[in-house]
Parts: sequence; C-alpha cells; structure tokens
Amino acid sequence: MKYTLIIGDVKESKDIKKGITINHILEEIDLPLETVVVKKNGRIVIEEEEISHGDVIEIIRVIYGG
Amino acid sequence: MKTCTKCGVNEVIIEKKHSGQRLCKDCFIQGTQQKVLKDIRHYKLIDKGDKVMVALSGGKDSVMVLDILNFLYEKNIIDMSTVTIDEGIKGYREDGVKIAKTHAKRLGIEHTVVNFKDSFDTTLDDIMASNSQRGACTYCGVFRRWILNREARKIGASKIATGHNLDDETQAILMNYLEGNIENLTRIGPKTISRSEMFTVKIKPLREIPEREVGLYVIARELEVHLAGCPYSSDSFRGEVGQFIKQLSRNHPTIMYSTLRGFDKLKPAIKYEFAREFNMGECISCGEPAAHEMCRACIFSNELDQNKRSL
Repeated sequence: MKYTLIIGDVKESKDIKKGITINHILEEIDLPLETVVVKKNGRIVIEEEEISHGDVIEIIRVIYGG
Repeated sequence: MKTCTKCGVNEVIIEKKHSGQRLCKDCFIQGTQQKVLKDIRHYKLIDKGDKVMVALSGGKDSVMVLDILNFLYEKNIIDMSTVTIDEGIKGYREDGVKIAKTHAKRLGIEHTVVNFKDSFDTTLDDIMASNSQRGACTYCGVFRRWILNREARKIGASKIATGHNLDDETQAILMNYLEGNIENLTRIGPKTISRSEMFTVKIKPLREIPEREVGLYVIARELEVHLAGCPYSSDSFRGEVGQFIKQLSRNHPTIMYSTLRGFDKLKPAIKYEFAREFNMGECISCGEPAAHEMCRACIFSNELDQNKRSL
C-alpha cells in the first residue's frame, strides 16, 4: 500500500500506515499547516483528509520564512 | 465527512478556526472576493475613476490584488496599470517578473518593469555582497518605495495598491511596537495619505486576509504565481516576529485579527500623540519628496557609493 508525495520538485513513493491523514504527513515532514496548501489527486483538501493506496499528495508551500 | 457551511457541498477546502466556517472551493473564492471588495468600500480605498497602479511582483499577494481589482477594471469603475520592480536578486526575481508580465498581458493591462540597476546603479545582490551597513529589507523597502512613488506620478496613478496581507500588517504593528518605533505605528493602516501631493496614496486591499488564505485563493483560482521565498528575508527581524505570531496563532487562531482590531482602535490616540508634522520639501539630489535635505533613497545611495570607493 503506497501513496505518492510531491513537495516542489521532489516526488517520492511512500508506505501508507493505517488511518494516515494529511495532518500526519505534515507532522512527519515538519511543515506547519498554516504555511501550505495540500492537494489530493489534484483537489485541494483539509488536514483531516485520509490517504488511500494510489493517492497522489501534493504539498504546496505558500508561505516562506514564517 | 465535513460539508461546506454555506452550500452543503462535501468538498471542503478550508476550515477557518477563528470563525468555525468550513468552505468549499467556490464558496471560499466568492466569500474572499466579497470580503476584499467590502473592505475596499468600508475603508474607502478606491473612488470611481481612480487610476490604480498595482505593485505586481508576481507573488501570490500582488497577483490576488490584481485578480480582484480586475473586477472593478472590467466594470470601468477604475483604470489600472501594473509595475514590477526588479531588485536584482539572481535566481529569484526572474520568475516573478515573467509571471507578472504574463498576467498583465492576459488581462490587457499596462505593465512596466523598473529595476534597481537603472534607478540606483546597483542591485540588491551587489549591496548585500558589499560591506553594507543595513539589512537587505531596509535598502529594498526604501528603494522600492522610491521607485513606486516616482512611477505612480509618471503614469498619473491616483492610488498605489500593494499586496500587504493580515500577517504583514500584524507583523508591522508588533515589530514597530517591540522596537519602540511609535512614530512608524502612526503610518500603519489600510490607506496611507501623505501631506505631500508628490506622494501617491497607498492602499492595502488584502489587509484583513490571512496570508495562508491568500495562498489558498491563488491556488483555488489556478492563478500562476511565484511561490519562492526571498533569499534575504530569513535574516530579518520581521521574519522572527512573523514566526512568533504564527506559533501563537496555532493555539489562538484569532490573535492576528485581535491585534489588528486593537491597533485600529488605538491608532487615533497614537496619531494624536505621536504623529510628527513634517514640512515636506524636495530632495536636493533627486527632487523626490523628502522630510530633510535628502530623501532616504539618496542617503542610502550615497552611503553605498562611499562604501564602494573605500574598498
């Protein structure tokens, strides 16, 4: 069970842990929600969104230096 | 599954902690546009027939200002033009200039690029590589204001619109307070009017929109923007204050709004007590408005020339 994580130009395949949400990913990579917008399969989602096998998660940093 | 508190759609893109509102993409876009247009009316930022010059960096804030003011432009309520300042930051500014040009062309709006090199015979990269005495943001801010004001007069603009958002404004309030720059506090607000007619009125239509919502807006609207951070911004005191406010906002989501509201209530008293009456004259070097013999841009420019000669 894997999902794809895209941050800027970096794209990687990651294993899914059960019940993982956008919030868990942001905590793992240490990016505060207040500085990013997240898309799941091309659609903007909120932090509670769950991730399933095959999902493509794109994290877009909209705030720098804060 | 959470649903939009306005229309009931289940594809929510934001949950506003300060108000409890959950919004889908369409309701968020529409609500944000309405809020900005309401603020423009409430603070009387724009009059019918104004020529508004948008300071367009190509970043999210200025692109959002352009996108919303374009509604007024399309309805012939205002005339509009755009100016992009190229400070000379290699590897950073080029993308923003390109994006700014694309937006101006797409909307059919007049666009000018003005660079530090032509105006001050230096770039921000050169300044920071020299033994300059001040921080990058200080030079950049003074030089940018000089160019914007001069350009606004040149094209006959009655207002200069900038992309300052709620985060920028609360940072400015806190920074100036912490540093004891009470006179600077008297100049913070949605609209800056100088006693000198040579200064064009500056307006901040996004003053009550949090920075993250600006980012969300441009992505939801699929507007191309330059999303990189300025390589010089991390060294600034503003950056430290910004980080502090963001940390506070996590447990106190209304903190930026209450900082702004509290300041707006205090401002008349601060202004009454601390606003200094400058007799604006003209800079003996460039002819721009100046409170002293020379404007700050010329003082800085001279300092940099002296530094260059002493090397």
